[in-house]
This record gives sequence, structure tokens and C-alpha cells, in this order.
Amino acid sequence: MEIKKTITSSLMFFLFYLFAASSPDLPKFSQPALITSAGQNAEVQMVAVLAKRAGIDHILNKMATGQDLEGYKSLLLVLGASLKGLGAAGIDINKELERVKSLIEFSRQKDIPILCLHLGGEERRGAQSDQFIKACLPAAKMVIVVKSGNKDGLFTRMCQDLGIPLVEVEKISDALEPLKNSFSK
Amino acid sequence: MRLRLIKKFFFPRLSLTIVLLILTLIIAFLAGKEFLVQRQSEPIFPSSGLSYHKKLSDYFPALRNTWGDTDVYIFEGKEPGGCILITGGTHPNEPAGFLTAVILIENIFVDKGKVVIIPRANASAFTHSDPQEGSPQRFFISTAKGKRFFRLGSRLTNPIHQWPDPAIYINPSGQKLSGSEVRNLNRCYPGRPDGLLTEKIAFAIMEVIRQEKIDLGIDVHESAPEYPVINALVFHENSSELAALVAINMESFGLKLRLEASPPNLRGLSHREWGDAAGILAVLIETPNASHGRLKGKPSPDLIVEGIDKFYPRASRSGRLFVDYPETGIPLKDRVGRHLASIISLVESFNELYPSKKIKINNIPDPNEVALKGLGFFLHSPS
Ligand SMILES: [Zn+2]
Repeated sequence: MEIKKTITSSLMFFLFYLFAASSPDLPKFSQPALITSAGQNAEVQMVAVLAKRAGIDHILNKMATGQDLEGYKSLLLVLGASLKGLGAAGIDINKELERVKSLIEFSRQKDIPILCLHLGGEERRGAQSDQFIKACLPAAKMVIVVKSGNKDGLFTRMCQDLGIPLVEVEKISDALEPLKNSFSK
Repeated sequence: MRLRLIKKFFFPRLSLTIVLLILTLIIAFLAGKEFLVQRQSEPIFPSSGLSYHKKLSDYFPALRNTWGDTDVYIFEGKEPGGCILITGGTHPNEPAGFLTAVILIENIFVDKGKVVIIPRANASAFTHSDPQEGSPQRFFISTAKGKRFFRLGSRLTNPIHQWPDPAIYINPSGQKLSGSEVRNLNRCYPGRPDGLLTEKIAFAIMEVIRQEKIDLGIDVHESAPEYPVINALVFHENSSELAALVAINMESFGLKLRLEASPPNLRGLSHREWGDAAGILAVLIETPNASHGRLKGKPSPDLIVEGIDKFYPRASRSGRLFVDYPETGIPLKDRVGRHLASIISLVESFNELYPSKKIKINNIPDPNEVALKGLGFFLHSPS
């Protein structure tokens, strides 16, 4: 029974993944991309590593604001708050929210599409992280999330309501494929 | 009359006093003997891949004939490449840090580049245990031909070797800390050549980094399950890309690694000062150790090796911990296995980022096999 359930759910997941990764409906993003976090998390560095592996022309700017987006064709926002990261950057959560909002505002004005990623799993959730998730998702064209970060279905619900495609992956390294595909022509 | 009084009152008391004195001396002798057991160093049997066996005092002679002197094992490949420093036993009450270093020393061969391992970074702290903790002095690991013993020491330098503590300690990086931190090696970097013993040890380790031209330093620790930095890698900002790659590579072992940036205002720690003062890539890794946590039940050799505890699973169920703590415990072999996986991933990631400085280490025990076969399988059997 348990095995059957596991098989069905992994099959479903696989099908969903196949569909998600190859669907012609998924939005396409252009290069060069600017990568920054929403919440000064450590996962932003992992997205830079994945972008490098995917051959995406990108720059990582941890403190980017609206003006810094000039000249870029897409924005990758890595979601989740890290108090350590905020401390290291010497800013508080409100300053960080302001920075993120300025990026969203600029990308709206210049029509730069936003791809949101949440890779930190369950631990990168909670009130502070969710603040960033709720601020960013309405501006996103697509969302990639590591499954354990969507245990409560927040991403599923929000993406359905907003009508944006959501790609769920098992682990961080699995985010490489959908990332690559979303930048391929 | 007076003599009779003396006989009546004094002699019985005198003999009682003598009996008590003798008893006290016997107890002191036995306790002293047990106390001194902690100074006996556990043997380490390096693999035949060892190139040099040095002493920390070879790098900083002021440490010679002090309790701060310690072994330095160097494995050098035939081909040149990058150079890694691995330190265990910075905190001898964190056994997985020490055992990871021992397992590496007893198994590895290096083909390319160089690996420098200091298993007992604070040798003095191995010679005593924390007072009022009731910690066992030793724990045991069974190998094919018999048991090996290892010491469980203290977080701090032995006060017999460095005393007294100041009320407030201002470390070499200028940070104000509570007085006892003056004996915490991981607050004393980058050390002081003319300072106290612990500061001298820190300075000597900086000398190893400079003289051996280290590229990447890995400080291997453990933390209590109620501490937020757990199953984690703390990285200097010069190592952020390395850290990200490591976390991705760790997934191939089925392990999740928490990344924590080293806060720039937290001074005196390896992951800060190795990077700032010597300019090398610097990381510190942590696994969950119940035996030095505050919530533990009775400390015993079994708690150290098997990680089974009465209270941690309860704390875990009520959401007080930063890690799942099962009834079956988090055994030392799993914690060492995790550290080995981190070290393998660190080397892989280093090679990916710095292909001209490639390092090739052979025969690092596979983390999954360590979990399956136990630590004893990968340790030299005493004959
Ligand atoms: Zn430690």
C-alpha cells in the first residue's frame, strides 16, 4: 500500500516534471540575467552556480536595486530570509524589503521578466521568509521551488491564484534542468 | 592526672585522625591516578601514504616542550596541486571532529597536491574534561582485533597549562569576550606569538597555513542539537561560491547542508581569521553532538559513540531542536560520515573552481560504507 502510494506519487511527480520541463507554455527568459536574493539567503550563491552550469550569461549582485537592472533582460529572485545574511549585509528586514520592491518596480516599468526560485526547503520558510515570498510571487512569470519548501502548499495556492507556472523539484541540483530550459531558445 | 586526661582524650582522636589521613591519601592517590590517565594520548596509526610526521613546534619553536605542541600529518602527492589543511580537535569535546581527522590519517593516499592534518589542534584541551559534567574520560571503538580508546576532552585549554583567566578577554582581533574564552582556541585566531598558550597555538596554526602555503582550511567541529548552526558549513565570504557548490555536491550523498555566512564582526574564529589574516579559503563544518549539549541525560561512552539519549528525542518532538533527533540516536559513525561527505564535496568543488590547483585524494572512506560497516572497520586494528 505504502509502496504503491510512493510509486504513484513519484510517477505523478515525474510526469508533472516532464510536462513542466518540456511544456511549450512555459515562459522563456533572455540573457543576460541579474541574480539577487530576496532576503539575503545563502541559496542565491547556489543559483549563481546553477546559472553558470546552465551556461546562462549572468551577474550576481547581492545588493542590487532597481537602477542596477538597467541593461539586463531578466531578473532571478532567490526567495527566503536569512537573519545571518541580513546581519552580514548590515541591513534589516525592512531595508531589504524596500530593495526588493524597487527591483520589482523597475522590472515592471522596463518589462523585465522575473523568475523566482525558492531552494532552501522547509527551513527557509516561516513568517520572515514568507513576507518575501508574498511580495515577489505576484510579479513573477515563473516559479521554481524545492519540494520541501512547499509542504504546506503555499506556492501551489499562490501560483494557481496568480496563474503562473510552478515547477517543483526534489532537490537543489534538480533546478538546473528547468532553469536551463527556461533560458533556451 | 594530666597524663591520664591526655591518654583518655587525645590518643583515640589521634588514631582516628591517622586513619582518616591514610584514607584521604589513598583516595587522593586513586583519584590522582585516574586524573593522570587523561594525559595519556591515544595512538594514531597513519596510512603508508604519510609523507611527513611533524610537530606544531616545527612551525613555531616556542611551543616545543609545552602542552600546546601537537602532531601534524602531511600527505603529499607526487604531482603538485592545491593544498588543504584539516583541523580536528579544536574542541576535544566534539568527538566527530577528532575522529574524522583520525579516519583520514589512517586511510588516505594523496596523488596530487597536499593534505595537512592536525587531529588534536588543542592538545592541552584533551588532557582534562569539563568540570561538573560527569563526562567519561574515554570512549571506545571496536576494530577487527580489539578496542581502540579515544579521549573526550574539554572545549577549553587545561587551566593547569594556562591560568588564571582574565575577567574580560580581548582577543588578538580586538573582540571583547568573556574571560574563559581566553582558553578557547577558536576565539584566539590569528594568535599572538608572545601571548598565552592558546594564543600561541593559534599563531602556530597560522604559521602552518603560511609555511605550507595552504589554499583551503577546513575546521571540523560538532555542535549541540539545540544550537542553530548544525549540519552546517560556515564559510568566509571569499568561499561563498565554494560553499554553494559543496551544498549542491552534498546532495549526491543524500545529505542537506545548511550554509551560514561567517559574520564579519565575529572575530577570532577560524572561518574568519584564516581568511582575513592568511587570505585562504576558510570553512568550518558542524554535526549534531548530544554529548556536549545542555539537554542530555547521563553522559556515557555509549552516548558519545551511539548518540542515544533519553531527553533529546523528546526535545526534538516538542520542536526545541534544529535537527531531528530520533530515539535511535545520531551515532558517531553517521556524524563522521557526514564530515567525510563534506570533505569529499569540498575537494570536488575546489577542483571545479580552481582546475589549475587540482587535488586528488584516494581512499577516503565512503560515507555510506562508514554508516554501514562502522568506524572500527576503517581504523587500524591494534595487534
Ligand atoms: Zn566546536
